[in-house]
Amino acid sequence: MDLPVLSSFVGWFAGVGRAYRTTLVHAGQIGSLSWNTLVAIVRLRVQPREILNQTYIMGIQSLPIVFVTASLAGIVTSQQGGYQLISSSPRYILGTLVTTSVVLELAPLLTAIVLVGRIGARITAELGTMVVSEQIDAFESLGRDPIAILAAPRIIAGVITMPLLVAFANVIGVGAGQITAQITAGVGSEEFFYGARLFWHSWDLVYGFSKAAIFGLVIPVISVHMGLRTRGGAEGVGLQTTQAVMFMILTILIIDAMFPPLLLE
Amino acid sequence: MIRYRSVYKAFDVPVLRGVDLTVETGEMFALFGPSGTGKSVLLKTTLALVIPDRGDVEIDGLSLYHGRKDALQIIRRKVGYVFQHAALFDSLNVLDNVRMGLPEDELARMREADVTRRVWDALEIVNLEPREILAKIPSELSGGMKKRVGIARAIVGRPEVLLWDEPTTGLDPVNAAAVERLIKRLSGELEVTSLLVTHDIEGGLEICDRVAMLDGGRLRFCGTPAEFRSSSDPVVRAFVDRAAAEAALDMVAT
Repeated sequence: MDLPVLSSFVGWFAGVGRAYRTTLVHAGQIGSLSWNTLVAIVRLRVQPREILNQTYIMGIQSLPIVFVTASLAGIVTSQQGGYQLISSSPRYILGTLVTTSVVLELAPLLTAIVLVGRIGARITAELGTMVVSEQIDAFESLGRDPIAILAAPRIIAGVITMPLLVAFANVIGVGAGQITAQITAGVGSEEFFYGARLFWHSWDLVYGFSKAAIFGLVIPVISVHMGLRTRGGAEGVGLQTTQAVMFMILTILIIDAMFPPLLLE
Repeated sequence: MIRYRSVYKAFDVPVLRGVDLTVETGEMFALFGPSGTGKSVLLKTTLALVIPDRGDVEIDGLSLYHGRKDALQIIRRKVGYVFQHAALFDSLNVLDNVRMGLPEDELARMREADVTRRVWDALEIVNLEPREILAKIPSELSGGMKKRVGIARAIVGRPEVLLWDEPTTGLDPVNAAAVERLIKRLSGELEVTSLLVTHDIEGGLEICDRVAMLDGGRLRFCGTPAEFRSSSDPVVRAFVDRAAAEAALDMVAT
């Protein structure tokens, strides 16, 4: 084998090795963060007031954007479904299509992606700034546990808030889809909800909420982890926030892809 | 007494290459050195904010890294840390920032009025008017006031040791001189052991009992301010001469 080929081969292997090492480091740190969070919760070291505060920020303050996203998801699904199906299928099938799409996929996934932008990026930037301005060191020097004070309330709030937001998104998405079906395809509410009930499985709701709870865990865990890893100054915070958003979206899409074979088969 | 025993720390490259240093009880000690030579890293090893790769730190004979399990907890109660840029918590007002300096278990036993009294006293010690600033958040304070609130947070728990990380960085000469006088006064009034990391050599030489200089991660000099000024070591001399020039410039500026 000549030298350039060998060198590129070695370079490729080194790259794989680095990626593998980075993945293991992230996995180890996320595991440690999750364990320390669990310990803080079990030892009742998390302030309920801070959980409420984070739940308000993540939940109540996210309602407007979740409302818009879920409405648009319902409207678009209803319009596209009407365009494709109404001439060849019973009209009530539009109710089935919109309800199933929203509950199984659109509400949990779009709400999660909205939360990545609104909450995940905010948490990473906030904690990253605290790291570079030595506020995290200050907590530790004063004998306080930053995990109990900063990480645990955000993670608990994420797990509580996300299923509630998804429930809200389900209602808004299906409602918007029904109104759109009425306006664009002339499908009345009775017909629409008949279709929705006809192929309804209660399991679909469990499926959607399970996704929501896992996304609600993943977003704060990754954003806290990335925030606490921040190094450097303002540039470091910006870089880390961008990476965190990529990391969260990729993880959510991978988990989303794993759900059907695990829970719908 | 603070004792650093062969403290070694590397990030990508070695920063501390086996530092041995002792700061006696009640002493006021300044640590000088060029940027990036590991002064702040050494200070942070005292509270395990940076964990050394090798070596140990002892506070009053208690080993931080090779001692009992609760050594860190005990040491953090004894030591107050003043951060370079104050490191106040952005979302908390001055009252809550300073109360964080009280140990958690002590705080749990105290009445709210007593907590406020302690915070009030700490703010008065650093020459701040509590009535005016208790409810303010850090973004409403000037740089000098933030430093003082940071100092109040460090002293409110009545520490036996105070670590000062570049306390005058970012301040104008007048405020820097005021903070230096405050450091000197506090170290005397509170009878604490003080270790001061600073670039302000003239200020450090003026207020400290002994000084040391780190260079390339190693201890280059350790002695009294007079010995530092008269040292024939070329690196120390360069520092002394630069400090004299900067002091002259500051006098012109003020």
